[in-house]
Amino acid sequence: MNNTILEVKDLVCGYRTFFLKDISFKVKTGEFFGIIGPNGSGKTTLLRAITRVLKPKKEEIYFEGKNIWQMRLKELAKKIAVVSQNPGISFVTVEDFVLLGRIPHYKKFQFLETKEDLEIAKRCMALTDILKIQDQPVGEISGGERQLALIARALCQEPKLLLLDEPTTHLDITHQTKILDLIKKLNKEFKLTVIMVLHDLNLASEYCNRLLLMSEGRVYKIGSPQEVLTYQVIEEVYKTVVVVDKSPLSSRPYIFVVTEEERQKRGEKRKI
Amino acid sequence: MKKNIILCLTLITIFLLNIYGETFCFQLRAKDYLNCNYPQRIISLGPSLTEELYLLGIEDKIVGVTVYCQKPPEAKFKEKVGTVIKVDLEKIVSLKPDLVLVTSLINPIQVEKLKNFGIRVVNFPPSKNFSQICEQFLELGKIVDRKKKAEEIVYQAKNRVASMRKDIKNLPETKVFIQVGAKPLFTAIKDSYVHNLIEFAGGVNIASGAKSGLYSREKVLSQNPDVIIIVTMGIVGEEEKKTWQKFKILNAVKNNRIFIVDSYIICSPTPVSFAEALQEIINILHPSKRKNE
Amino acid sequence: MNKKVIQWIIWVLVFCGILLGISIFSLCIGSSGIPFKKIISLIIEGKGTTEYSIIFDLRLPRIILGFAVGGALSLAGVVLQGMFRNPLVEPYTLGISGGAALGVCLNIVLKMNRIGGVLSIPASGFLGAIVVILIVYSLSTRKGLLKIQGLLLTGVMISFISSSLIMLIMALSRTEDLHSIVFWIMGSLEESSWLLIKVALLVSIFGLIISYLFCFELNAFSLGEEEAQHLGVNIEKTKRLLFILASVLTGCSVSVAGIIGFVGLVVPHFVRMFVGADHRILLICSFLSGATFLIFCDTLARIIISPLELPVGVITGILGGSLFVYALTKRGVVL
Repeated sequence: MNNTILEVKDLVCGYRTFFLKDISFKVKTGEFFGIIGPNGSGKTTLLRAITRVLKPKKEEIYFEGKNIWQMRLKELAKKIAVVSQNPGISFVTVEDFVLLGRIPHYKKFQFLETKEDLEIAKRCMALTDILKIQDQPVGEISGGERQLALIARALCQEPKLLLLDEPTTHLDITHQTKILDLIKKLNKEFKLTVIMVLHDLNLASEYCNRLLLMSEGRVYKIGSPQEVLTYQVIEEVYKTVVVVDKSPLSSRPYIFVVTEEERQKRGEKRKI
Repeated sequence: MKKNIILCLTLITIFLLNIYGETFCFQLRAKDYLNCNYPQRIISLGPSLTEELYLLGIEDKIVGVTVYCQKPPEAKFKEKVGTVIKVDLEKIVSLKPDLVLVTSLINPIQVEKLKNFGIRVVNFPPSKNFSQICEQFLELGKIVDRKKKAEEIVYQAKNRVASMRKDIKNLPETKVFIQVGAKPLFTAIKDSYVHNLIEFAGGVNIASGAKSGLYSREKVLSQNPDVIIIVTMGIVGEEEKKTWQKFKILNAVKNNRIFIVDSYIICSPTPVSFAEALQEIINILHPSKRKNE
Repeated sequence: MNKKVIQWIIWVLVFCGILLGISIFSLCIGSSGIPFKKIISLIIEGKGTTEYSIIFDLRLPRIILGFAVGGALSLAGVVLQGMFRNPLVEPYTLGISGGAALGVCLNIVLKMNRIGGVLSIPASGFLGAIVVILIVYSLSTRKGLLKIQGLLLTGVMISFISSSLIMLIMALSRTEDLHSIVFWIMGSLEESSWLLIKVALLVSIFGLIISYLFCFELNAFSLGEEEAQHLGVNIEKTKRLLFILASVLTGCSVSVAGIIGFVGLVVPHFVRMFVGADHRILLICSFLSGATFLIFCDTLARIIISPLELPVGVITGILGGSLFVYALTKRGVVL
């Protein structure tokens, strides 16, 4: 299929104590794909496999039809960009930090950034609205701003696929929505395919086109939010009682947490 | 007239030596290039060599010594160029010497550099016994044009040593342990002049058969020497003596025959100082023969 | 030409200037007290005199070797600190100095310098360094992946083992050998063979040029290994090459000049405080600063208690350590 940007076939990989088994799925170009699942279900491991950090038993991950294990790392970096959770260093300015994203594009003996590089960086910072803090050291900006800087850096790589690992954990509502809206905009307007690992099921439901639910190292279910986020599935995988209803604004599934108190009030009608 | 003949003969000898210089040098184990001019500006990088130069009466030709050259006391006033181990090359070069005497303790890289400057360097390796000390002294005498004086001094020293040995010839042998280092415990083994001193003084060095100078206190206890001689400077000697005195089973402790000897007397030997040191050791081992000098 | 590039050029010029100044200072100072005015006339027409020899055959080789070794050690320090992202890493942490010292000890004790002549000791030092590098490398590589933490621990352990072996050899060796071993370990810029000095210089400068091929990789490394790979850096290949580079620089320096510590540890930190952490400027400035620092320390070592000479490693340790602590408290360290 020529609008499949990423294909994972029978992926088996992991560590000594934890293994992903038989993961297979396809992501279409321009999709906003969410990966959800309980802690320890293998979401980050899957992300690591896709970014070539972990080596699987069979090397069968294809990006636009080409096996990623047969591509040069530099080539891959021009196509896939990753926004991880930790920025690493803290004392460079935001501008220099974002410019690091241009590294895959530097030519062999290039020593300084070209005008083009600087312009692209400026554009990415404008998109993420961090131009005003471009001269501040990364260690002195807020968590939300740091996340935006990470995204700006990823965008400098000019990728076709953007991978995000829980970009909104630890952030307040303002930044959560700001970032997710930005990503949605990038997805819609710039046709950037997005694969995002999320904890918050409701955010996943609102923003993603399709979801992949992982459980104990395997794919539990793939489909639209309506198909995946039902109370039976959630109970089965997350082992917790919830109520699922339609959001009044977007008609997407919305999950209500049922507290202990409430459960006792309604007298254990459903078995867990 | 006689003087001129002697001078000619000496010149001819040197000329011949020049031709057969290599073999001669190899035999004496002194590395140098023999030439016909006698040195006028000498730098000595060994306390014993400095002392020997003074014995030969050419101290006015000494232009540089090490900071450790303190015997005789006049030597302390000479220009200092470094230690026995490491010297200030710049200082040496600026003093424009025509002969530098070194011991085996010197850094070989510095010797190379001096040779690169075209300076004559003569190496005096450590002597293993009295006759080697004398040989080296004679060699030094030849290099600095004091051959006769050197021969005189050696003759006197040999006589003195021989007579001292004769004196104690029939006395019973004493088992001796000589300690030259503490922490770790170090003694003198065969093929060192300290061992030679003990032998000449009528003692038996209990460590003569050992492979290395590193000795264990246990071994000393099992060999039970009659005399313990501690060669060291300062407080360390006193402490070592106290440590030995804890072992009451040692003969040396029972008979109170633990002695401390100043290291200056024993280290850096010249023929003369060897004889003096021998006298001191004989006094220790054979108190009945004690001579006051 | 943007602001950053101009700033960089200024820094390089400043460091070059300081290096030149200290070198001239070192050339003019010494225990034989040649006055400065005379030096200029000596350079022009003094060939053949003792004083000319002193300047060009005694002082100049030390300055050139100081430049080569100081630069190489600082460069190795920058590269390793960038790779390990650990501020306490320095060229000697990987056990390379231990291996070199062991090689030299064995050479002296087994009297191998009869065969090789004046080059045999540096050669055996380098060989010892290479052996240790191979051991450390192979012990830290699992399934073809070089584990950074493993490298550090293995290096430290090998350092300890080498020190113990060296002490064992020293305890059993004869006095003359012992002296040679101790000299060598104390470290000195006095070298009689121009060939060795030229080799050290070549390796140093070559190393600097090669390190620049990795300046972006080193910048990426500061984000973490995984992140660097996301940016397209081939981390395995880069780690391997950088490790080899640092090892060769260190091994060569140690074989020629003995063990001179602190330069590789302190200089990169110090320079980072001033020029920032971008390796494009850090590499060259550390190189120049390291060279300057070592030449300065060597000059002090020569003149402080003339005619006795202090081991240069003592001066680098005391001076380097104190300067660093002072700067830390004043400015706050940037890692």
